Amino acid sequence: MEVTLKIFRYNPEVDKKWHYETYSIEAEETDRILDLLEKVKGHVDGTLSFRRSCAHGVCGSDALRINGRNYLACKTLVRDVGHKITVEPLLGLKVIKDLIVDMEPFFNNYKKVLPYFINESPLPADGKERLQSPEDRARFDETTKCILCAACTTSCPSYWGNESYLGPAALVTAHRFIFDSRDEAASQRLEILSETNGVARCHTIFNCTMACPRDIKITKAIGELKMAMVTGKLD
Amino acid sequence: MGLKRNVGLAVALRYKGKTPFWSYILHRIGGSALFTFFTIYIMALAGVDFASGILGNWLFQIFSLSFGLFHIINGLRITILDLFPNLIRRQREAIWLEWAVFLPLYGFMLFVVFRSAVGG
Ligand code: HEM
Ligand code: FES
Repeated sequence: MEVTLKIFRYNPEVDKKWHYETYSIEAEETDRILDLLEKVKGHVDGTLSFRRSCAHGVCGSDALRINGRNYLACKTLVRDVGHKITVEPLLGLKVIKDLIVDMEPFFNNYKKVLPYFINESPLPADGKERLQSPEDRARFDETTKCILCAACTTSCPSYWGNESYLGPAALVTAHRFIFDSRDEAASQRLEILSETNGVARCHTIFNCTMACPRDIKITKAIGELKMAMVTGKLD
Repeated sequence: MGLKRNVGLAVALRYKGKTPFWSYILHRIGGSALFTFFTIYIMALAGVDFASGILGNWLFQIFSLSFGLFHIINGLRITILDLFPNLIRRQREAIWLEWAVFLPLYGFMLFVVFRSAVGG
């Protein structure tokens, strides 16, 4: 079977403006979009640039806009998107080359929510782990699944309009630590989220939830953060 | 380095979000429609002639009240989801419910506007 692959191309060294290039290639229904990109790069045009690493939906390198919405190229099959496929870089981040975007602003926002475990209390008497009940662990299980692919943040109209907005991915990370019973910096993080570019910029649009390749209910997590901020309660 | 960060309105509108994304866009239009409606309404109350003319126009009424009614019902959905984050799991049903509330009210509103347009 033949599919038509239309790819966003931009080489800053020669192009003044971006353009699309179209390739017709042989593919199976069960091929992943990443396989098609590899085919083009390997057999048709070696200059095509895109990020990938694990190729198994774990590293989060290959989030792309495929037929108009964000997916991980390595988790999306031809049969999911049809035989006419348009592949474009993520929205709201600068394009460095072809499908590669500058992730720096994304990670800068991520760093702002203190994305690490904070607990200054002495270790338990046996010097081993800080224990947690299965229920307490389950409280933030979903938000531990984020792979920082940026599919959510770059699907968010609020982020498109304002790159200082922390964005869904950073908020998911904040949720992961704020609702962790072993962490002690919840109030510090909630303070950060209550600033102008924090949770208040979320307009409950759900693009992030639908774009997440790990099925994290992101809008719900942000809703819980909004509530925690207003009530000061973490339940 | 590279292209500018470029998400113009046309590109943004082409993003394939689903119903909540379109509700979001209609909500912006609805907010502006309500703002316009009330501005004209207050001007008409203050006795500005051309404002009374616009307010009496049934096309203007239909336009601003349609989007305005959507804004109000959709605003209630957002408010409820914000107050009860657990319900966000049921956001698809929330959209259905929103339309189930909106459509009868919308029908009633159209009826009232047309009746007064025809009845003078
Ligand atoms: C019962 C009536 C109303 C309800 C329930 C309501 C609800 C809401 C809610 C929940 C939002 C925030 C939406 C979001 O976060 O995305 C909002 C925004 C807004 N509303 Fe209303 N609203 C009502 C009446 C009005 C009226 C009368 C006006 C105009 C005079 C208005 C103008 C706006 C505007 C301009 C926005 C901002 C939209 C934006 O952020 O771009 N609303 N409304
Ligand atoms: S290449 Fe690692 S997530 Fe797709």
